[in-house]
Amino acid sequence: MRLVINGKEKVFPTASAPATLSALLAQMELDEATVVAEIDGKIIPRPAFSSTPLKDGMHLELVRFVAGG
Amino acid sequence: MPEIQNDLLKIADKTFHSRLMVGTGKFASPAVMAEALDASGAQIVTVALRRVDMDNPRDHILSAIDRNRYWLLPNTSGARNADEAIRLARLARAASGIHWVKLEVTPDPYYLMPDGTETLKAAELLVKEGFVVLPYIHADPILARRLQDVGCATVMPLASPIGSNQGLKMQTAIEIILEQATVPVVVDAGLGAPSHAAAAMELGADAVLVNTAIATAENPPAMARAFRLAVEAGRLGWQAGLAPQSKHASASSPLTGFLASTLKNSD
Repeated sequence: MRLVINGKEKVFPTASAPATLSALLAQMELDEATVVAEIDGKIIPRPAFSSTPLKDGMHLELVRFVAGG
Repeated sequence: MPEIQNDLLKIADKTFHSRLMVGTGKFASPAVMAEALDASGAQIVTVALRRVDMDNPRDHILSAIDRNRYWLLPNTSGARNADEAIRLARLARAASGIHWVKLEVTPDPYYLMPDGTETLKAAELLVKEGFVVLPYIHADPILARRLQDVGCATVMPLASPIGSNQGLKMQTAIEIILEQATVPVVVDAGLGAPSHAAAAMELGADAVLVNTAIATAENPPAMARAFRLAVEAGRLGWQAGLAPQSKHASASSPLTGFLASTLKNSD
């Protein structure tokens, strides 16, 4: 499965491809509570992470709060 | 002094006793940042939104900011136009549930001057979507009025360029905004020393926002405390009613001399 995450293409072998957004975040060691996700330009509400299926070719933006003025 | 004790900052439906807002950027470490925030007495702290650093997945700023103590104010820094700012504001709300946003639209990275046209466009839409909008602007009194008219909760005119520490270069224009505003005015950007913050408060500003001057001081927690005291002093000075300035001198004791007559008698 091919995903574009934060502008970078990532290829997942079918055996270990994350089925849902939650699964992807777990694989990336990202704490769900701290991340906001957009898939193909649409914000995914956090409660829906585990029920959001990932499909080949999706563009994801994973964003979080950082230091700033 | 009852009126001074009850001097609370009111923004939208929230009240605060601190009139010093602090940004979280540029600190040497999260620990130093946390210590500085504590010393500042600030209740409102700003954060930005960026892509997750996939090489550092565990690194997260909110682990160093106690959300029970600080009111988080996400900014839209990085936005170059209204669409990008709106997108960031919506992402921030999805990230935190907070519907407050510091609206920042800065297309030019060299001076980081805010784009007033795009800011007004984004503000109007975000207010309609239920955001409490705190727009960062150049000290443009007409723009400030327009933002007020579309429902912004404050206006935040810059003192001088972000991170420049130049101080109150925009003083005259800020004074006009202060005279005409009916929402709180927060002087934001370029305040480089505690005296600058005190000066802004003495003009009648409702609050100031400081980041670089604290974060990049030699001793950030000490500087944070200095800014805290300066903001309190400036505010109290303004409330106490500054004495008028004049071009000429005005002696503090009567000039009716007795010295000339004393010398005569001792001849």
